[in-house]
Amino acid sequence: MDWDQFDLNPKTIAALKKADIKSVREVLNLSGADLQRLMKLSSADIQCLLRTVSHMLRRNSMLTALQLYQDKDHFTSQHQKLSLGCSVLDNLLKGGIPLVGITELAGESSAGKTQISLQLCLCVQYPYKYGGLESGAVYICTEDVFPSKRLQQLIEQQHKLRADVPAEIIHKIRFGNSIFVERAADLDSFQQCLSRRLSLLLARGMARLVVIDSLAALFRCDFGPAQAALRARYLQSFGAQLHSLSTRFSTPIMCINQVSDAVSESEAAQCSCRVEGSRVTPALGITWSNQLLMRLMVSRASLPGHSPGAASHCAGSVRTLRVVFAPHLPPSFCYYTVQLEGVKGIK
Amino acid sequence: MRRAARRVRARAGRGRGQAVRGGAGGRGRQRSPLAGRVRGVSEACPERVRGVSEACPRRVRSVSAACPGRSAPCPGPVRPGGGAAMQREVGTLPLAPALRARLAAAGFQTAQELLDTGPCGLSKEIGISREEALEALQVVRQECQGDAARTAGGSGATRKCTALELLEEEQTQGFIITFCSALDNILGGGVQLTKITEICGAPGVGKTQLCMQLAVDVQIPECFGGVAGEAVFIDTEGSFMVDRVVEIAAACVQHCHLIAEAQQEEDHGKALETFSLENILSHIYYFRCRDYTELLAQVYLLPEFLAEHSKVRLVVIDGIAFPFRHDFEDLSLRTRLLNGLAQQLIILANDHKAAVVLTNQMTTRIGQSQATLVPALGESWGHAATVRLIFHWDNSQRLATLYKSPSQKESTIAYHITSHGFRDVQPPAVTHSTEGTQLNPRKRPRTEEEKQQ
Repeated sequence: MDWDQFDLNPKTIAALKKADIKSVREVLNLSGADLQRLMKLSSADIQCLLRTVSHMLRRNSMLTALQLYQDKDHFTSQHQKLSLGCSVLDNLLKGGIPLVGITELAGESSAGKTQISLQLCLCVQYPYKYGGLESGAVYICTEDVFPSKRLQQLIEQQHKLRADVPAEIIHKIRFGNSIFVERAADLDSFQQCLSRRLSLLLARGMARLVVIDSLAALFRCDFGPAQAALRARYLQSFGAQLHSLSTRFSTPIMCINQVSDAVSESEAAQCSCRVEGSRVTPALGITWSNQLLMRLMVSRASLPGHSPGAASHCAGSVRTLRVVFAPHLPPSFCYYTVQLEGVKGIK
Repeated sequence: MRRAARRVRARAGRGRGQAVRGGAGGRGRQRSPLAGRVRGVSEACPERVRGVSEACPRRVRSVSAACPGRSAPCPGPVRPGGGAAMQREVGTLPLAPALRARLAAAGFQTAQELLDTGPCGLSKEIGISREEALEALQVVRQECQGDAARTAGGSGATRKCTALELLEEEQTQGFIITFCSALDNILGGGVQLTKITEICGAPGVGKTQLCMQLAVDVQIPECFGGVAGEAVFIDTEGSFMVDRVVEIAAACVQHCHLIAEAQQEEDHGKALETFSLENILSHIYYFRCRDYTELLAQVYLLPEFLAEHSKVRLVVIDGIAFPFRHDFEDLSLRTRLLNGLAQQLIILANDHKAAVVLTNQMTTRIGQSQATLVPALGESWGHAATVRLIFHWDNSQRLATLYKSPSQKESTIAYHITSHGFRDVQPPAVTHSTEGTQLNPRKRPRTEEEKQQ
């Protein structure tokens, strides 16, 4: 740490170097009395040091809510979201997936989670005007092989799904080129992938979406009930790393999660899934839920009260996409089907 | 009044002789006869006591009437300016610890003695350079001036007041309302200023919603029952969505407009001119902290920020648990940092008359037969907040429990989160206003809103 660049008294700088304090974090971790003893300076000097160091770390960091509201820049604006490629689904999410934060998509098997994430991997490559982010996607598989045949189908049918986009723009995008598939079958390889390859790809701007399919698979085998604390530590560490990547590069992170049965009524209530007749809660518990910005749930069973006419004119069964919690969305749901060209919502 | 102590000390450079350290009589130390070496002798004083004051005819420095070794009673204590500030003990002055140790070893006891000795004498007596002595004396002088100003002004940490004064102050202090009257009732009026309130709950239960609601409600003008302040929002999780704040603020402005229409008072109209959506948004100061180091740095800078923006009445830290729950191998470091943070926030809340609101996560505690949800960050963090609210679910109903409060009893109420923000489950008993009835300035007859909900 080059202390000379700070706006400090030379006496303080000399004392810092002599006490072998190497980083701003060390300065802030030590208490005032410890700093006085280590550096042999008076408390006024130490206060001055703390203030200067804090200023350096936090200069230009204040924004008013009005500035946030009026920010229209593609990279930083909160209004910019990643569209799902279907106007009905986008309306449910008030624009799409937020750019900063971890979004979870939980549901039973074959409910359509992989379909939605494949669709997102294609949507992210469109220009900003059409709800994309003009960049690629990273798809991390932990259990199944990557469904490349389905991806090819979707690519061929993009013009049918995205009727709002002019055909020449669709033709220009090389969809297959910008989807980076990683395989991480266990915790160590996942950790490697996170810390090395992912940050590299994001730093180079080659990807602006990360899909993890699925996180629960990493924890199912290795951790018994007795190792809950160790599992929690891993989850917190992964969550923090993903969060920091998402914040630094303004990249949405979509985590696919499995569900397990809710053993008791209270457990179902805790995870805020209170659908009649549905007794499943997302896996990985409250430790993982604390890391999330937004949680979506998909299911095959349609909610009671839906009009029987809706199912009749759609090929394939009707599924439900529900917002469980989000800071900007009310709990709501909508129906969708999975068709050849992709996932489409039903009004 | 302290009895003068005769300091007996070996002269520097002449080796240690019979160096006997004298102390004040109250400490019970033996006072040695003057036969030993005496420091800082003044020729004018027959008793050869150190340091002289010009005003005292006997030229004895800051002595009491009971000064030993004097043949005639001293005309009285001489305090040449500064008063009590000058009598401050050397150990309490903000000097470097090594310097303080040397001064104590040399026998200096009060600030006055230091100032009287002067830089040359000081540097000779304790063996430091002249520049260091000059610096130290400057610090001492500033400190004493500051002390004098403080005791004269009667404010600051050393202010004394009676419980009656505190009671009167508390009763006139405002509360920040939450728009959920049930919650306001169990809190005793709303979120209290000068106190730390902690909100704990599972994800998705409404903690961030309440924080956003409070950031808008703190700006309600006084004629509508608010505190007319500004808000600081420190976000560690990235869950501050400005679109949602716009919705909440728009609903709040509309509510106030309807009250003004119903009550038709002049100051309402004037206040509403400045209470607009843009104004509300521009007075919420947003800071994004990405890890605990940035959070610590931000809290160090808050007192300065609040001094510049004196209208701030609310500081929200949304997600105090998030940056502290990973990356800490050494939990004792985490406890120490959290305690330091809590201390700073308490001082901040008190000095600037602001409410501090923190949100915390829940964690599972595995008990003997079952697992319960408890607030995160451990038991010692539980002492940091004055008021603790726990939000939880009961089937589909959101409940808020007042878990810890010094003045209100523990109770649970139900609340609702609508598109307008944080609200009651059922509207309070509707009283249609006639000309004669006195309306609560915060409530208006709920007619249209019921239909909407």
